[in-house]
Amino acid sequence: MKRLALLFALLTAAFAATIVTDEHLRKAQSDPSTWLTYGKNYFGWRYSEIDEINTQNVQRLAPRWIFQTGVGGSHETTPLVFGGMMFITGPSNNGDAIDVLTGRQLWHYHKAPPPNLSMCCGEMNRGFAALGDKLFKVNIEATLIALDARTGAVLWERQIADPKKGFTATGVPLVVKNKILVGIAGAEFGTRGFVDAYDPNTGERIWRFYTVPGHGEPGSETWAGDSGERGGGSTWITGTYDSELNLTYWGTGNPGPGMDGDVRAGDNLYTCSLVALDVDTGKLKWYYQFTPHDTHDWDAVADPILIDMTVKGRKVQAVAQANRNGFFYALDRTNGKLLVAKPYSKLDWATGIGADGRPIMVPGKDPSEEGNLACPTLGGAHNWSATAYSPQTGLFYVGSKDGCDIYYKTHQQYREGQWYQASTSDVAPADKRVGGVLAIDPTTGDTRWRYDMVSPQSAGMLATAGGLVFTGDGQGYVVAMDARTGKPLWHFQTGGGIIAPPITYTLNGKQQIAIAAGSSILTFALPEGN
Amino acid sequence: MYLRLWLILAALPAAFAQAPKNPFAQDPNAPENGRTVFRIYCEPCHGIHGQGGRGPDLTRGNYSNGTRDEDLYRIVANGIPGTAMNGFGGELGDDNVWRVVSYLRTIATRNTEPMKGNAAAGEKLFRGKGGCANCHIVDGRGGRLGPELSKIGPQHTVAYLREAILEPNKDISSGYSTVTIVKRDGTKITGIERGLDNFSVQLMDSSDNYYSFLKRDLSSIQEESRSLMPNSYGRLFTPAELDDLLAYLVSLGARETKP
Repeated sequence: MKRLALLFALLTAAFAATIVTDEHLRKAQSDPSTWLTYGKNYFGWRYSEIDEINTQNVQRLAPRWIFQTGVGGSHETTPLVFGGMMFITGPSNNGDAIDVLTGRQLWHYHKAPPPNLSMCCGEMNRGFAALGDKLFKVNIEATLIALDARTGAVLWERQIADPKKGFTATGVPLVVKNKILVGIAGAEFGTRGFVDAYDPNTGERIWRFYTVPGHGEPGSETWAGDSGERGGGSTWITGTYDSELNLTYWGTGNPGPGMDGDVRAGDNLYTCSLVALDVDTGKLKWYYQFTPHDTHDWDAVADPILIDMTVKGRKVQAVAQANRNGFFYALDRTNGKLLVAKPYSKLDWATGIGADGRPIMVPGKDPSEEGNLACPTLGGAHNWSATAYSPQTGLFYVGSKDGCDIYYKTHQQYREGQWYQASTSDVAPADKRVGGVLAIDPTTGDTRWRYDMVSPQSAGMLATAGGLVFTGDGQGYVVAMDARTGKPLWHFQTGGGIIAPPITYTLNGKQQIAIAAGSSILTFALPEGN
Repeated sequence: MYLRLWLILAALPAAFAQAPKNPFAQDPNAPENGRTVFRIYCEPCHGIHGQGGRGPDLTRGNYSNGTRDEDLYRIVANGIPGTAMNGFGGELGDDNVWRVVSYLRTIATRNTEPMKGNAAAGEKLFRGKGGCANCHIVDGRGGRLGPELSKIGPQHTVAYLREAILEPNKDISSGYSTVTIVKRDGTKITGIERGLDNFSVQLMDSSDNYYSFLKRDLSSIQEESRSLMPNSYGRLFTPAELDDLLAYLVSLGARETKP
């Protein structure tokens, strides 16, 4: 604890100028007083070494302040904390800087989204990224902006794709080696997905990796005719980064059109895949496709968490993901080879994953004109919400959504900027949709414990050295659980449904928990004087 | 509210004043083309076959905001202010809106089911012999245990309403399932579930008493997918009485839009 205090004192001085350097980002895990990136560290762990709040005292956790954003809609932000400020984004192109001591607003950013945007799922945004004295965020109309962290002033704005074609942007940029990496959304409109890298000072694009290969490029043979031109493959959740391998890992979304696979015969690379890209060039190092020729909208965008672990007696550098298709996967992140694949939720479309890494398909599960039952649901067994890994317990924490859907398809003519899913899904009759918080052993895929919830679990996860997992639920509770057993130890009704993940940091040496709930940001700490 | 609605209607383009006709009325392909559009844009709320869900059943042909082609065009294109029905005109374009109207005409067949009963007689049964008003509010009068029925008419098919009376457990309205809790001292309470989350449960018993408990204070919670509504109406009512009751229910909330 003394060492922690010394480190804190040093870092407080370092951050007084509200500057985030490349070194700060690389060493983010060792700094308890900040939260600098989407996943806490480049491995995407969402794990903090702070143990002041632990299984013995979490029952005394109490709110410190509540910040009302005044903005309606789904708040999915991962707050950043540094330089005495908290930076949050809201839906519909909003953002705030908040004094981390008092919860008072320091500045507010807003730009009205253009009317009549073509988008699948609302004007949400998942947070800021930071480098130097700048903040970076995407706006819904597919722009990337840089703000001055101290004032909120817009420094530059860059259009990254054409919203008239159905492109939108919602994810958190990833700052790596002085580049701003961003993904894109819009696969429901027949767009062609990509990952971009931008210069943080000028907004100029440095490289682009298309998730669907161009005509004649390797992988283009997995698309019938010219169908890849409308191939989808969005990248709407932030990737992770391994500095030793110089690779960044991004999950990709569904092929287009989502339900009608007839018009795009083939595996449809690199949709529903994990791609490993060279950070300097954006070149593809390897890929692994979780769901070849997907017809159920099972995007593979959930956090790709990097874990060094031992599988069957062999030390491996792995990347793990709880996929929307119902399987938990661990891959060798040096080459993309499959290490572990195991169902963690109800699924009926495959009996397993073969030695060749491909799913062993159950026939007759594709969508049809009349409707066809398949599990999990279109939203998936786990959608996008942030997952966590605790090196203390060696467990991977994820929220599950358990259920089935009736899947329909239809033939649909593509028109630029128009919804291009080629039909839809409906709730399966008598399907009781439930959820849970799961702790998965990433070395085997076994579920170590499960805490059942009354509805599908949508909130993100945070693991701490206090032996705790923090999360929330759709009914507005923020919850702390024993990371080893799943037993809920504390909860608080926030008054607003929770989708966002919690974060933690120290303020004047005391541990704080922060989370977005409803249209508010709440912080919690142990009461003073105990 | 009505004033605002009228202002909006008054501000609609002049074209609407001329009662536009469906240009695809004679096109044999229009319903099929409209079905494709419907499955993409309308299904999420109105169901894959237009049978209703979050949004109203469209197979009855008894639309609460107007039943003429131009009414349906206006609703699909501009939405219904103050409701969850958004306008799709900008996204679909005129032609596709009209094709959706053509499709709706082909599915709106169940409204032809003849209503044999007498609504006035049905109301007497509702408030008398059937005891329905003990649990259902209509026009401000009735019990609180079941869903309000003041606008039930346009929301469901006659077949659905008949089934809901005879087999109340088959499709239970959201928020009206039965829950039984047992307290630590063994006390048992059964009622309709008014709330359930990961840490608490709320219920209302048949005497309208409201209860809220933390799960940790209970020894058990039993959720049942059954309704508290009696399943004996098939025996209580004669077929003619059942028709009367249905005629009354169908009349609730049905109103014609004046041109």
